[in-house]
Order: sequence, then C-alpha cells, then structure tokens
Amino acid sequence: MDDARVRQQRTRDDTAGVVLHGVTYRAGNTLILDGVSVRFRPGQFNVVLGPNGAGKSTLLRVATGLAQPTAGEVTYDGEPLTAFGAQRLARTRAVLSQHVELAFPLPVADVAMMGRYPHYGRTPAARDREIVDAALSLVGMTDRAAQPYSTLSGGEQQKVQLARVLAQIWTEDSTAASASRFLFLDEPTSSLDVHYQLHLLDVARGLLEGRCTVVAILHDLNVAFRYGDHFVLLDGGRVAWNGERAEEIPLPVLERVFRVKARRVSGSGDAGPLLQFTL
Amino acid sequence: MHSVACSPYSVLHRVVGIRTQRALRLYATLLAVVPLACSGRTDDAGTRVVGVSKQINEYLYEIGAESVLVARDLTSIYPPAIRSLPSVGYHRALSAEGIISMRPTMLLTDGNLGPEAVVEQVRKVGIPVVILTPGSTVDSAQMLMAELGRRFGRARMADSVIGAWTRGMSDALADSTRWSGAAKPRVLVMHFGQLNNSYLALKRGSAADRIIGWAGGTNAMDSVGGMMRLTPELIARAAPDVIIATDVGFDRVGSAEKFAALPGVALTPAARNGRVYRVDETEVMYFGPRTPASIRKVAGWLHPADSTTTGAR
Amino acid sequence: MRDEPARVTPVARRGSAGTLVVLGVLLVVALVVSGGVGAFTFTPARMASYLAQAAGLVSPAETDALGRSVFLELRLPRVLLSALTGAVLGVSGTIMQGLFRNPIVEPGLAGTSAGAALGASLVFVLGGGASALSAPLGSLAVPLMAFAGAFGATMLVYRVSATFGKVNVFTLLLAGIAVNAVCSAGTGFLSYMARDPQARNITFWNLGTFTTADWRGVSVVAVSFVACFVLTLRDAKALNALMLGEDEAALLGMDPQRLIIRWLVLNTLMVATATAMVGVIAFVGLVVPHVLRMMKSSDYGFLLPGSALLGALLMVVVDVVARLIIPPAELPVGIITAVVGAPVFLWILLLQQRRGSAGFYG
Repeated sequence: MDDARVRQQRTRDDTAGVVLHGVTYRAGNTLILDGVSVRFRPGQFNVVLGPNGAGKSTLLRVATGLAQPTAGEVTYDGEPLTAFGAQRLARTRAVLSQHVELAFPLPVADVAMMGRYPHYGRTPAARDREIVDAALSLVGMTDRAAQPYSTLSGGEQQKVQLARVLAQIWTEDSTAASASRFLFLDEPTSSLDVHYQLHLLDVARGLLEGRCTVVAILHDLNVAFRYGDHFVLLDGGRVAWNGERAEEIPLPVLERVFRVKARRVSGSGDAGPLLQFTL
Repeated sequence: MHSVACSPYSVLHRVVGIRTQRALRLYATLLAVVPLACSGRTDDAGTRVVGVSKQINEYLYEIGAESVLVARDLTSIYPPAIRSLPSVGYHRALSAEGIISMRPTMLLTDGNLGPEAVVEQVRKVGIPVVILTPGSTVDSAQMLMAELGRRFGRARMADSVIGAWTRGMSDALADSTRWSGAAKPRVLVMHFGQLNNSYLALKRGSAADRIIGWAGGTNAMDSVGGMMRLTPELIARAAPDVIIATDVGFDRVGSAEKFAALPGVALTPAARNGRVYRVDETEVMYFGPRTPASIRKVAGWLHPADSTTTGAR
Repeated sequence: MRDEPARVTPVARRGSAGTLVVLGVLLVVALVVSGGVGAFTFTPARMASYLAQAAGLVSPAETDALGRSVFLELRLPRVLLSALTGAVLGVSGTIMQGLFRNPIVEPGLAGTSAGAALGASLVFVLGGGASALSAPLGSLAVPLMAFAGAFGATMLVYRVSATFGKVNVFTLLLAGIAVNAVCSAGTGFLSYMARDPQARNITFWNLGTFTTADWRGVSVVAVSFVACFVLTLRDAKALNALMLGEDEAALLGMDPQRLIIRWLVLNTLMVATATAMVGVIAFVGLVVPHVLRMMKSSDYGFLLPGSALLGALLMVVVDVVARLIIPPAELPVGIITAVVGAPVFLWILLLQQRRGSAGFYG
C-alpha cells in the first residue's frame, strides 16, 4: 500500500464514528460538560459510564444533536453535526431512550412504523413496511404487531422502541461508505429485567457488523464491562478514564468516581471477572 | 329538437328577453309580498300579528283588537285570555323561525327584544317588523294606544279607553294629594330578570318609580335609569320601608315570609315589618289603563292608615 | 431465535377509511334531518327543490316564497354553521390533545375560547350602536376582536410557559387555567356593566347559539376552518410523532417547537372565528377525539378528518335537539353540550384514575 492511501485510510479511520472535540456545555451558570473530547468508533460497543449527575445524558444530547454545545463540536465521520440537515440526521442516527411514554394508544406496528417517518412523505411505501417487519422480527415482537402498545410489559415496550429505532436507521448495504449509521442507547435497560436487558444488548451488539457506531449509556458496571469494547468514564462533566480493556480500569478511579469500595472477583465459567461494590 | 316542457315559464323564456323576465318575476314577488305588508293596515281576516311586547299586547285587548294576535311572548300574561295563544319564547331570547312559523303578517314589538338579529331575520323573509316605542310618560303611552287604534281599525274604541284612562289618572292623582304632607316611605321595586336569573331594581325614571311617586312613596334606589342588578348588600343598603316584588320573582320563593327571608332582604325594615307585597309586573312595569288602579293599590300598601280610598274600581 | 416475518399492515389504516365513510354518511343524514325539522318542517324533496331554485336550475315557485326564504336564509345557514362549528371544535380538540399529549384538554384550555369571548364582548359593550351588536350582521369588528382576544390570550399562555423557546406542557396547562379565569372574569364584568341592550346580546350569545346564523357568518367560519384543516392535515405525521414526546419527534427529524407554534396559531384562528359567531360552546373538543380513539385509532391521519366529521355530526344533532326540545323557543346549544359533555368528562377522569398511565383505552 502506498503512503497516500495509507494516510487516507488512517484519516478515514481517524474520523470514522462519532467524535466530540472539546465539547463544553453550560446551562445558565452551571457547567455540565467541561472540555470533553472522546471518540466513539464504529464496529465497537462504546459505553459511557458515570454516577448520577456526571453529565452522561447531556453528553448524549449533544452527541445526537438534540442540544448545541456551548463550545466545541461534534462530528460524524468527520462531518460536523451542524452540517447535517434535520431529515438527513434523522435517517442516519437514532436514539433509544430510557423510557418512551406513548400518550395515546397505538398498535405495536404503528409505533415501529414511526421509525420510518424520516423516510417517507405522506404514506409508507412497501419497502418501509418490509423494514418494519424485519425490525420487529429482529426483536422478536412480530406476533404482537397488532396489539396495543399500552398492553405490553415494560420490557416488551422497550423492544418495540428498539425496533422503531432500528427501522429508523435500517440499511441494507452495510459496506458502502454512505451507509454509516449511529445508534445511541440512553440507559435502555434501566427498567428491564435481566432477560430483556441481555436480549436488548445482544441485538445492539449484532449491529456492530455493519458500519454502525453504537454508543450506550449503561449504569450496571458489570453488564457494561461484559458487553462493552470501549469505555468512557465520566465524572463531573469530565472524562475520568477512557480505555478499551475493562481489566485495565484502575479501581481507585472507580472508587473515587462512584464513592464506593470496589474489588475484583473472579467469575465462574467463561464469564470474566466481576466487580463487587460496597460502601 | 327535443321537446321542451310546456310551462308558462318556458313560454316566457322564448317570447321575452331575460331582463323583462326578471322584471316580471320581481313584479310577481311584489304582488305576493305587498298584500302581506299592507294587510296590517286593514282589520281584515288576513292580519296575523305576533306581539312580543306585553304592554302592546295588553293595549290590543283593551281596544278590542286582540283578534289580530296569533302569538305572544312568554311574559305577556295579561289579560288571562292571552294565555291561550302560543308563546314564541322569552322576548329576549327569541327565535326567528319560531316567529315565522306562525306565518304572521307582522311582528309587533316595543323595541325591547333580543337577540337583535331576529329583527333582521324576520324582515329578510318578507315579514315587516313594526317597532312602536311606548316612551316614558303616560302621554306617550296613550299616543301608542291611539296609534294601535289607527292601525287596527279601532280608533274610536282607543279614544274612549284613553278618555277613561285619563279620567282615572286625574282621580288617582287628586287622591294622592292626601299624602303630600305625610312622610314618604322608601320603596324598593324588585323585578326578576329571567335571562340572568337575578333580581333587578327599578330605578328613578321608570314607570314603576313614577307610580310609587304618585302613590306617595319614594324610590329607595338613588340612581336614575332603567333597571339595575341587585345584590344582598345593595338591598340592605337601600333599606326600604316597603318592598314590592313582581310576580315571577315573588312566585319562585312562594310567600311573603320566604321572600322576606332572602339574603339582604332580611335586613331591611320592610322585611322586619312584614311590608313585602306582590304585584303583577304588568301592573307596574309600564303605563296603561290599569295604572290608576295600581296607584291606589300601592298607595294602600304605603299608607295603610289612610285606607279610605275613594272610588275604588 | 428469529420469528417468522409476517405481513405488517399498520392496524390504524385498516378499516379507518371505512369509519370515515360511515361518519360521512351519518353526517349527510343528520344534515338532511336538521335541514328539515324545526318550527318549519321541510321534506328532503322540498329542500332539494329550494336548492335547485336558488341555483337557478329551476324557476322559483311563488306559492312557497316564505318556505323557501326561511330555508335558504335561515335554516340552511344555521345547519351549515352548526356543522362547521362542530368540525372546528372537534379538530381543535384533537390538535390540542396532540400538543399537550393529554386527553383531558379542551380547545379553550390555552385560553383561546375565553379570550375570543372577551374580545367579542368588548365590541358588544363598548362598540355601541345597534348594528355593531348583531355579531353576524354587523361589521367584522366582532370576529376581528375575537381573534385578537383569542390570540392575545393564547400567546400570553405560551409566553408564560415557554422558557428558552421550549414549551413546558404542564406550565402551559396551568397558565391556560389562569388566563381562562381572567378572561371569564372580564367577560362577566362586561356583561354586568353592560347597559340593557348590550347585556341582552352577551348573555344570550355567551351560552352558545346558532340562532343568529347567516351566510356571512357561515362563509367566515368555513374559510378559516378549511384553511386551518388543510394546513394541519399535512402535519398528521408530526402529530403522531409528538405522541412519543418532543425529544423523540426532534430525533425523527421534525421541529416540534415550530410546529407547536404553527398549530397553536391555526387552532386559535379557527376557534376564535367560530366563537365570535356562535358564542362559547364547551366539551365538544374534549369528547370527540376521545370517542374516536376508543372507536378506532389514535393515528392522526384518521383522527383529523374523523374529528371534523364526528364534531360536525355531533353539533348538527345537538342543534336539532336545541330546536325541538322547547318549541317554538330554543335552548342554547352550550347548555346541551355541557349537560352531555360534563358527565363524559367525569367518566374520562374516572377511567384515567382507575387505569393509570398504562393507558385507559383498554
């Protein structure tokens, strides 16, 4: 490979994914994010961790374009977020929120179809319907398509939301450069039981095969370390630690940030070491 | 060439031009409407009047012209014979269709009707609306009666009623000099507004106020004008010696004792001394041939010691 | 384990068109009935004949000039006005419930109806002169002031509840209650202070009535309704997305703040125009969307046309009842809608209490 192409390759690699360049966010007089610079690469499960009030949600809002940073910028594949139009952004990135309240009753299929809104004008095309089909089957909710959303359990509702979110950024061809997609998960498993938690994260990991950048805020450290490939630990609006190997995270940092005592415990079978916390 | 229906209009269409057609149509319409408009002037079987003023309706009965009436408003209840006529509703909440369905040749009112759009709506379908205002004096009321006499061919009868009325008034006023020296009790006339469901006081300058004056009393309300809404505080502050309540407002509580117990009323000298009286609104709300009798009746309440009235009718 | 992919047709669209057709048919029937009954009764054949005469297709029959006049000048405008007002109120309720993501929202809740009533009352009392008082017949002063009042009240509510350009729904509701109270007090004060002739008009109109309907009123309401309806129908998708929340709608590529303002303005225009013509009529905007959701679907592509049709149907029926219940007088329409609507409102509250936020449509 000649130098130019190597450089080009590296540049492309350097800018691929979601990059935050010195992002600062101020709300009134409160500084919520202070000069955060991180890079979330595609093909790896990026996890953002931190205690309450660390600024994780704000980080997500800035990274998804819901909020404008006071200073710094966010880029997707090297392109600043501000250059994306609302429609194009909606077709490229999707966010699975913690808990989506549906104000009025709708069947599951309708809720999932909302993910295709950025893709059609007045009425959905056959292709949109196929994608929603596929998304629902991916999360295992196909047989509930006609059921009212409000009659589902919390976990099932979250699966439907995931289907919607997947439908929003669905792409057939995951190798083309234009197929970059960005999926954000904002504590998607908080109110779910273990089964749904793991199932949802499995599905999310499954997306990594394409050119999808996945960023998740998770609160359960053990689950995070089990699923994640890259960790950003946020504390008081700053990055306290940024690394790729869960075993490398220094316990004193964890203890300081979360204000607990931590200790590694060797797991059984093929599960890696677990962390045990006490006050 | 296909056949054309043979009707006068199709013949017309072929024989005359469009403008002539239109003129002929207009003429035909006028032919239909003009008799309607004119029939009010003659006392023939074609006159159908909807009267929504209790004063005017009473006058029609007095001058013997009541046969022209086909419908009345809700509060026209004097004389009792009028109650057999259908009512088109409260005079301040009328419906044009209700009036028109009586197929009248005229809507007769004293101007006190609502909603105002009704007048326009009735006119729009070709029914004339005649507005005769009674004015605020006995003289103007008598002129109204004379006008009604002229319109409905009862001029002679109207004149004779007016004559008797005038004589009755002078008799009553002559009697009233009896109380010119005496203390004038404070009188509050409480009317009931059916649209708002609240009590109203008759202010100075109103017909009831004049009647009180002639009967030797004085209006407990200081302000001038038509009617004003009453509150318990206003009633108590007015502190009338005598309360005269009109029929609807009185009958809804049932008795003088119950009326005297109403808030605000209970604090008045009138209530304490049991001087609460009932009167039909048709007796005091406007001037009419019964006004002399009303004066005497009210005087009897105001000056019970001088109960020897002359010439009681 | 992958499930078998199945054909997914969004349920909302299945059968919705059928429901709309049924509502449309019912509305036509109601219009024919309403056109025919009252102090004057007309058969459908006679009504058709009158219409043909008016259109110049048939030459006028002089023998029935009165009936024709009554039908064309009084009955027909009234029937159309009742249908249009119902459509306005129904659609307005649907829009507002979508904006606030709450089923217990009335068109008047953002102060719109009360502000309109206040504006109109100002003309009634201060405008002076008999011609200005008759709302549909006089100058356009009344509808203009009504819109000004409605718009002022709505913008006040919006200003109070929006911080940094973002609208807080709960503050909006509370501010709406406060502004409503102020406007009602203002209207009450004006009707109290009003001299006799004006007071007649205000109290009568304030209860809601179609008695004074005429073609001018009909055309004004029709124009504002059609304009607002068409413009809002284009945003049906956005209203759906808003059901998930403002953030979610923004993530789906919409601009919720701008849309909310646009819908508020359109809603205000519609409601103010109708209120100026017919007075304050409550509960229609509350009941109509609720019934439709229970019957069929919450999808706005269905709800918007559905609430127009059902609202119109409801209002036409209520107007018939108003005319027949105490002939030849009429009962104010607002009284009937309150008598029917208030129990329904309480029932909605009860249901919501019992089933909680999990959704109470079953």
